[in-house]
Amino acid sequence: MDHIDFNRLKTGEVNLGTSIMAVQFQNGVVIGADSRTTTGSYIANRVTDKLTHVHDRIYCCRSGSAADTQAVADAVHYQLQMYTQMSGGPPPVHTAAALFQRICYENKDGLSAGIIVAGWDKEAGPSVYNIPLGGGLFRQPWAIGGSGSTYVYGYCDATYKEGWGRDETVDFVKNTLALAMSRDGSSGGVIRMCVITEEGVERLFVPGNELPKFWEGAEVLGHAKKINQAEGLAPMVVEA
Amino acid sequence: MSVYRSPGFDFSNSTRNNFLLNKGVPLPKATSTGTTIVGCVFKDGIVLGADTRATEGPIVADKNCEKIHFITEGIRCCGAGTAADTEFTTALISSNMELHALQSGRKPRVVTAMTMLKQTLFRYQGHIGAALVLGGVDPTGPQLFTIHPHGSTDKLPYVTMGSGSLAAMAVFESKWSANMERQEALDLVILAISAGIFNDLGSGSNVDACIITADGTEMLRNVDMPNQRVQKERDYKFRRGTTAWTKEDVRKFVVEETVTSTDEMDTS
Amino acid sequence: MSIMEYNGGSVIAMAGKDCVAIASDLRLGNQMLSISSNFQRVFPVTDRIYIGLPGLATDVTTLRERFRLRVNMYTIKEEREIEPEAFTHLVSSTLYEHRFGPYFISPVVAGISKTPTGGIKPFIAATDLIGCINFAKDFVVSGTASSKLFGVAEGLWEPDLGPEDLFETISQTLLNAVDRDAFSGWGAVVHVITKDQVITRKLKARMD
Repeated sequence: MDHIDFNRLKTGEVNLGTSIMAVQFQNGVVIGADSRTTTGSYIANRVTDKLTHVHDRIYCCRSGSAADTQAVADAVHYQLQMYTQMSGGPPPVHTAAALFQRICYENKDGLSAGIIVAGWDKEAGPSVYNIPLGGGLFRQPWAIGGSGSTYVYGYCDATYKEGWGRDETVDFVKNTLALAMSRDGSSGGVIRMCVITEEGVERLFVPGNELPKFWEGAEVLGHAKKINQAEGLAPMVVEA
Repeated sequence: MSVYRSPGFDFSNSTRNNFLLNKGVPLPKATSTGTTIVGCVFKDGIVLGADTRATEGPIVADKNCEKIHFITEGIRCCGAGTAADTEFTTALISSNMELHALQSGRKPRVVTAMTMLKQTLFRYQGHIGAALVLGGVDPTGPQLFTIHPHGSTDKLPYVTMGSGSLAAMAVFESKWSANMERQEALDLVILAISAGIFNDLGSGSNVDACIITADGTEMLRNVDMPNQRVQKERDYKFRRGTTAWTKEDVRKFVVEETVTSTDEMDTS
Repeated sequence: MSIMEYNGGSVIAMAGKDCVAIASDLRLGNQMLSISSNFQRVFPVTDRIYIGLPGLATDVTTLRERFRLRVNMYTIKEEREIEPEAFTHLVSSTLYEHRFGPYFISPVVAGISKTPTGGIKPFIAATDLIGCINFAKDFVVSGTASSKLFGVAEGLWEPDLGPEDLFETISQTLLNAVDRDAFSGWGAVVHVITKDQVITRKLKARMD
């Protein structure tokens, strides 16, 4: 299992302590991520886009060091452009994943990057590849990654079914990420998702106040008393 | 030793310095800009802001330094972290941007500077301690980025960096809005930097700002000076001859010489 | 114990009206043991530029020779004397070249520069050990007594002092600051640079 070894990050390094996910369905893939970037306990960016474009129908989800994953994604993006020019057509997802894997494997001592590559190509249709920390390459029907993923493996195992359509897959990704973000302190913010099909890439956005809600303890703790603004008590007011 | 020097860093002292380090002698601290730097997008451009304090440990080394560095006419960059690193890295990229503009014959773009900076910093794996706020207006519109020392970048409508970034971000998070007017944005940046100056010990002195629009760049050095020293009530001028000295040596550059006229030269 | 304090020593420079002054102590030590009371760490670069090199004594010698070479090369190539601003950048880039294996010196530069209109302008600057320049209008300090020098100079310095008044102010600042620094002292030297002369004076100082 791919644990993110946070000790490998240098002190002060910008960290994508992340929840990322990719799931394939009948005619495409859904990828998703939270939006939190941290330096220590400070949130350096609360609306980060961790779903990075590397080609027209191939995206990657980045986790680990922000600097490392951006550099790797930039390098692969460049190589895929060269590939397209030279071969005269779009690259298969496997090619993109193999490029990521090579960089991650050959520089395994210097990188902390856990990457999920997903997309659509005319050879294999939709596909998801997981490239965990050591630089392995695994094709999976669904993949999760980042620090938040450890909390939701059971949920994914119990929930995932083959043969889903677009909407069911989007809901699965949305729910999984919401659960991961609620348990993992270094994940949070909003959910960004992409649906990649032959037709195109559709971006979906779930604001932080519209995340799917699960059991939050109301049955045990009772409903929190709502303080009405109209009653005159403003937030943060020090009572006399 | 050749008089022509090869480019790049010189590691010739490293053997000696590592020996000292292994003996338990710590490396001395370099000047750091424990800083507040900010940037913010408004209706037709970018406003950058910075405080003006440079520190060496607990000492204020410079009370009015410049942290907004020139990249190109329409692109500027605020620097936090190791002062020498921000100074030299921005100067290097400024130089390369000029060459790039000359070679391509195009107006320089902010993403170009951002890519050059992130690749430079990534190559040095965080050893070059420069944390930057890069902003500018190019043919693609206003652009604002942050670049961390390890080489990661973020693109946001309002950004802060340095030790005072938390104080400044608190101001932005509560007061920033989309499509602000020029004056509104400048006032907000001054407020954010002031929050850093007064609430963060690493930041202080005055506010510098820089407004970049498609029409031009306005560098506002010391727009706000909330920490001016009042006139000293008395002076401590010493009476001449207070200091006893044992030996004096005067080197005069103007040598007195007498010119003796000679017979006029025969120029026929 | 920091390597910057190994040999001791401090330098200060102040700007006055059409003049600048640079002063340093004369002690060379081996930690707490004093070795010499006549160690030069302020050197002339051109007629109107002086540089002070407080820090590790071995690097004082190395850098002095390095700067001498680079200034001579500059003079030959440009066929003119180097200006204080250009020299400061030369110092700065020499130090930054050694960013990842620095010389343990934080130099101070003092000089008189020429303005494009033919006038003159007092110039002082200091850099840290990796070459970050501090252009100051009033004074710059460096060395083991820098924290004390900052305090005294902040109180004593005032604008537009003439050469003789500047001599008194910089001398008293240095003397009083190094008296409270165990690693600096044992005599002092002051250079006052004006448009047409340099006055160098060895000060009478405490020798304890």
